[in-house]
Parts: sequence; structure tokens; C-alpha cells
Amino acid sequence: MAGENMQKALSLATEIHNDEVRAWKDEGGRVIGYSCVMTPIELIQAAGFLPYRLRALGNVKTEKADSYLSRFNCSFCRSCLELALDGTYDFLDGLVETNGCDHLRGMFENWQYAKKSEYFHYLKIPHVVNEDSLDYFKAEIASFRESLERYSGSRIEAEALVEAAREQEAVRQRIRKIYSMRERAHPAFSGYEGTALVLLSSAIPANRFLELADKIISERERSGITYSGARLMLCGAATDEFDLIKAIESLGAIIVTDSLCYGSRAFSRQIDPSSTRSGAEEIFARAYLVDLLCPRMFENYARRRDYVLSAVDRAKVDGVIAMHNKFCDVHGVDNVQLRIDLENRGIPVLQLEKEYGSVADVGRIKTRVQAFLERIGARERMRA
Amino acid sequence: MVLTVLKSDMTKSPGLFNRIASMLEIIETFPDEISDEELEGVLAVLPRDVAPTIRAVMDKDSREVGIAFLKMVASSILGAKRASERGAKVLLIPFNCPPEFLHAFDSAQPITSEVLSTLGVLALEGQGERYWDIAMGLGLPDHMCSANTIELGSVLGGYDFVPDAIVQTAPGGCDVNSKIHEFVSNYHKIPQFILEKPVDDSPKGRALYQKYTKNLISRLEEFLGEELKEEKLRTVIEKANRCTELYYELWDLHKEVPCPVPNLFSLFTYGTRFTMWGTDEGVRVMELMVENVKERLKNKKYPATGEVARTLWVYTSYYFDLANLFIWMQKKGYIHLGDGLDLFFPEPVDTSSMDSMIEGLANAAWNMPMTRQVGGEFMSVSWTEDVIHAARELKADCAVFCGHHACKQTWSVVSILRNELMKRLGIPLLTLHGDSWIKRITPVSVLQKELDDFVRNVVSAKKRRGRRRPSGMKEK
Repeated sequence: MAGENMQKALSLATEIHNDEVRAWKDEGGRVIGYSCVMTPIELIQAAGFLPYRLRALGNVKTEKADSYLSRFNCSFCRSCLELALDGTYDFLDGLVETNGCDHLRGMFENWQYAKKSEYFHYLKIPHVVNEDSLDYFKAEIASFRESLERYSGSRIEAEALVEAAREQEAVRQRIRKIYSMRERAHPAFSGYEGTALVLLSSAIPANRFLELADKIISERERSGITYSGARLMLCGAATDEFDLIKAIESLGAIIVTDSLCYGSRAFSRQIDPSSTRSGAEEIFARAYLVDLLCPRMFENYARRRDYVLSAVDRAKVDGVIAMHNKFCDVHGVDNVQLRIDLENRGIPVLQLEKEYGSVADVGRIKTRVQAFLERIGARERMRA
Repeated sequence: MVLTVLKSDMTKSPGLFNRIASMLEIIETFPDEISDEELEGVLAVLPRDVAPTIRAVMDKDSREVGIAFLKMVASSILGAKRASERGAKVLLIPFNCPPEFLHAFDSAQPITSEVLSTLGVLALEGQGERYWDIAMGLGLPDHMCSANTIELGSVLGGYDFVPDAIVQTAPGGCDVNSKIHEFVSNYHKIPQFILEKPVDDSPKGRALYQKYTKNLISRLEEFLGEELKEEKLRTVIEKANRCTELYYELWDLHKEVPCPVPNLFSLFTYGTRFTMWGTDEGVRVMELMVENVKERLKNKKYPATGEVARTLWVYTSYYFDLANLFIWMQKKGYIHLGDGLDLFFPEPVDTSSMDSMIEGLANAAWNMPMTRQVGGEFMSVSWTEDVIHAARELKADCAVFCGHHACKQTWSVVSILRNELMKRLGIPLLTLHGDSWIKRITPVSVLQKELDDFVRNVVSAKKRRGRRRPSGMKEK
């Protein structure tokens, strides 16, 4: 049984316009949507807004979006655009674009073309890390801060920023704790629950998440899930599809860790809150760019590979599923290199291309995962 | 060690590069003039997939240009094949890298991924599909871009030429291009030098790009063990400036109605830009094109007998059958005014100092096709502005998006372009679906049919409606 607090978290996490957002809006609060993990959300919070990370939660309808984006564009982006066009995202007062990938850029441009937001800012993220790009990103963050100040009508004070940084770091710390509890021999959370909590952490006010997360962690501290199948790691593209994760776990496996964009990559960085009191732009530039584990970055594949290898080792992973949404080039290519490198080290990998949220695809995916689990099982038997 | 062996044994393998190079070694020996009879003789012995290309390029009224173009390409490819003989390193570049700054190094030989793929598709029996299949066999997704994956599939297959390094200028402009080159770099452990395009059109973005360009040059100097010499750079840039002048002469000639520029000159123009811009061979091809067109204009000898539609292709064209696309269009009176790859709008570079030349190179890189459009701050805005400018200047009456399936950035904002073209110029956009380099996705006969239908039912019908419109009412 999930427990009362976990149940509440799941209920909030599986709804886009959730009750916490409603309550925030009812009190006159404004909500700013963003998509990428390289957005310094501390600034949004310090400016008095609720940062809300865009998601599609497996939405399969894309009729409206398809008249803007094409079928050669990532279905996750099409799903998000659909939710913007059909009014689901009307609760957002503003939007922060980032150049995460070509599809995402297209999604934001079409969104703005079809439906202008009250507040819009484009935060440009470099693709390489060096002193020049860090200087540039620092200036970009300063300009982001100014635009938020203009929209809120007041300056972001140092104290407010330190407080926001403290809360957001606490959020990341709780998720890190939850992830470490997932890695136990008897994991305290399923992959489905872990993903839900990560998603929830960027969909409600930080203080509300902390209250709930603390209760859940305390409830689960001494519990563990008994499972019969393999311990899996999920890698790859934007995956906020609960149903897909549930479907994989329904085959007897358990997902004990991940390197997903809506997963561990969202909270790997650590920021000392007090350091943001002065020169916050520099702190954020380094934390958000240098620590970014995304295949849209160049000259750091080895870091991404080592991150996965280290998680495989730590969480005692039996096999890795490297997923990408059809037409996602950055993950599609990275996953091939990752598969080669992991298999060379004896780690079984299933490279899985899928359509985002496609119900029709679940059967095929389950068959492939089942075959993969059998492969892992056979390997284990041979070892024994 | 295996790679070393392969590098030193480049003549015995079935890779794309080697097959192309063998063919170009023959072309290198062609005289500058070939009679119809001689051409027929050559075509008779060429394989089925190759003959139409040679026939198209060797069109009677612009044969001299075609031969010069083929020889220029031969010079580029064979320069790479023979690079080690002169102690030079082969640098693989994507099409959006301005080659002139590499021509300025004695010890560097640039070679362009997309040009190699295109040559493979145009000149090899079986086209490029076997190399594409190698890449797919490694597990790379089928939504990769065939423009580069065909050539890189051959490299990945392990029995072709392996470059000494990759100079990668696509980050910021195209994910798929950037990622496949990065993959090859990781797979074969080839050094990669990156020039990222910031998606920022402000002075801040320009300044960063200048810094990145300078850093790239420094890193290349270190890798090549050669300092970029001011005099050598000036010589190359002066030739590049001459190419720029000729580019605008040709641009202006495109404005004529009827258009005196043969459809294939679009491909020749950017084929030059992507390979030999800033070299004598490049200048010669550009000069010959301008001379040829001026002569045609003077004699009213237009490539098409009647002008039915003036089409502007907004991104790439199709390259797997030049005869049945470019030449077929010409015969039908469908003028190909150029495509998105022609929209690089070069600017003359100030050669007064090293700094001014490097600044000019950064500017040239910024203006390369794809980089300046979808590598812009907002893809839809910069692409739309360029297409609208070209459509207006060149008096296009319709536009065509070829719908190359791998091109996710253009596919993601083409609906905006379509709306803006119609809203601002009243020009309809035909969206085709296909792969520009692989014929098995959409056969050329289907493309011909769709173009015919579009011209007949939309473009011509619109012109007829325009003529019937009562006086005082104007088409947009």
C-alpha cells in the first residue's frame, strides 16, 4: 500500500493543474512555466512566482499541436504544445524558453506564435563549457533576473534569493534521499513512485513539497519492496510517463535508479544557499552549466557515461534501458554510444525507441522489456 | 592500430570516399571541352545510377561550367586523398563550416561530409544506401540525417578513409548533424574541434561567436603545428571576396524574368561554397556561371522555354536524381530559383589586418546556411525573414519545402513560415515529404507528380484568378 501521504503525492503528481497550483493561484500567485533542468528556478521563486516544470504526463492527443509541429518532431514536445493550445496550461502566467534541443525550440516558438504569454523570457544555454561560455551564461542569468524583476515590479533581494536557494536545495536533497532509498537491496520506493516524487517537486511550492516529502521519507524509512525480477536503470529522454514505468515494473522488474531528465539529472547539482547572497549569477552559471548531464552538451560524453556507470555500480543494477522518443536526436545518438560502452563492460542494455505516451506502443515495449529481462535472467543463471 | 592500417590503405577498400575518389581521378583528366559525341560515349559505359547525373551536369548549354564544377570537386576530394603525401591533415567539416579558413593552412585539407554523401548518391552505383545501412546496423536511429550519415556510415564501417580530426560547426544550428559527428569522433577516437553557434542575435551573441572562432583557430594551430599566416589568409580571403562578388552577380541575374539561370546552378553555387570557396578553382566555377548566364541573357537563350512557375525551395532540394528533378523542372518551365542552402549572403571581408580577417571569418561562419537561419535566436524568425527576402527579390511565385525527414528544426517551424509567406507575400508553400539523399523514401516520380499538381492547381490557378480580378483589387 502506498500510504496516505504517498497517495496524496501520487494524486498531485498525476494532475497537471493540481490542487496546490490552484491554491497558489487562488491566493493571487503567479506561475512561470519552464522546461529544462538548466533553468535557475531559484530566481523565479525569489521573484515571488511559482516555478512549474512543463510536463505532458503521457498525454497522447496531439491534434492541435500537429497543425504546428510536424510528425517528424518529438511527440513529447507535441504533447506539451497540445496542452498549451487546448487550454490546460492556461494557468501559466509566463514562460521561460531554453534552447534544450531543436524540438523544444520549435515547441516554444509555436506556442508563442499561437498564444502569447503575459511573460516570456528566452534563456540561452551554451552547448559547451569553458570560461567564455560561463561568462556568457552568467550574463544570461543576470538578464533573466532583470526580466523577472521587471515582471514582478520589484527587485529580487539577496535574502529572498538565499531563502529560495535554501528551499530548492532542500528539495533536491530530499529527492537525493529518496533516490538513495530506492537503491537499497529492498528499495523503499518503486520507480513509478520515485518518478512521481521528482515530478511533484517541480509542480508545487517548495515548502509544500518539503512537508510532504519529509512525511513520506519517514513513513518509508524502514520499509522495503520485495520484488522477484531484475534491478533496472532507466536512461534517456524526457520521460514523465507513469504508465510506461508502471508497465515495465509490472513485468516483475524494479527500476532502482535513472539518469532521466525528469529524474536524477534534475537534482544532481548542489548549491550552497548562502553563496547566492552575492554573485548569485556566477554560482548559478557554474551549477547549472557545469553540472548539466544532458546529451545536448558537447565535449562531455565521458562524464555522462561515467555518471551512468557509477549509478549502475552503486544501485547494483542488472540491466539498463536506454530510451529515446522517436526523432530525439540527442538521446537517440547518445544511447548508441552508451549501449556500446556499457555492453563492453558486461552490462546488459536495451536500447528502446518509442513514441511518447503512445498507448498502442505499450504492448511492443512490454514484449521487448520481457525479452530483455529473460536475457538478464539467463545471464544470471549462467553466472550462478 | 586497425585504423592506422586503414588510413594507409585507402585505395583498396569499398568505402564511399575511395569509390568517389577513383571516379574523380578519371574526371580530373577530362578536357575542358567535351563534344556531344564524346559525352555519349562516356554515358554509354557509365553505370545506371551515374549516367543521369553526368548527363545533367554536362548539359549542352552549360557544359563548360559542369566540367569546371566536377574538376573543382575532384580537386577537393583528391586533395584529401593525397593530403598525407604533402604532410597535410584531413579535417572533416559539416557543410555549414566556411572552408576558406582551413584553406589558409598549408597543413590542412578540409573535406565536407555532406558533399561526400551527395557525391556518393549522385555518382555511385547503388547510391549511398549501403553506407546508410551500416550506420543503421550500429543501432543509430533512422531519423538521422542522410546528408552526413551516408558518408559517416562509410567511415563508421571501418573500411574507408578516417579523417585526422573533425571541425564541428553545427552545435546551435542542428542537433542531428552535431550528434552524428560527435558519435564518429567518440567511436573512432578522432579529435573534434567545436565552434558552437550561440542562439543569440544580439551583440553579446556575436561577441561570443567571435571569441569562439578565435579559440577554434588557436586550437587548430596547435593541432596542425602551424600558425595561420597573415599573407596566406589574405590571399585566400581575397579569392573568397571575389566569390562573394560573383555570388551577388548571379543573385541579381536570378531576378530577371524569364530567369536566365539554369536550375542546377543553385547546386553548383553552394557546392562551391561548401568546398572550394576562396580558391582559384572556386573562383573559376563562379566566374564561368556568371559568364554563362550573362551570355544567355544577352542572347535571350533561357534554360526554360516558357516560365510556368518561379519556385523558391526554402531549405534543401532533392539530390538523388538531378536529371529527373532539376532538369525535368526546367523542361516543364518550373524555375528553381535556388534553395535554402543558397541563402548564405556572404559579406566582403576586410583584409587590412589579421584581426579584421578573423572577424570576417566569424561573420562568414555566422552567415552559413542553416547557421544563420535555424541557428538564429528564433528559428522561425530568421528563416522566415531570409526566405521572404529571397522570394521578394527573386520574384518567386511559389515556395517548396522538400520535407527532408531528418530536418527537425525546419519541420518544427515550417508551419510558421508557411503562414508568414502567405500573409506577407501571398505565396503558397508546397510541403513535400521525402529524404533528400535517399530515393527509396519517396521516389522522384511521386515528387514530380506533387509538383505538377501544385503548379497546376495552386500556382497557375492563382495566376489565372489574379488575371480575372476586377481592376482595383490586388493580389497580396
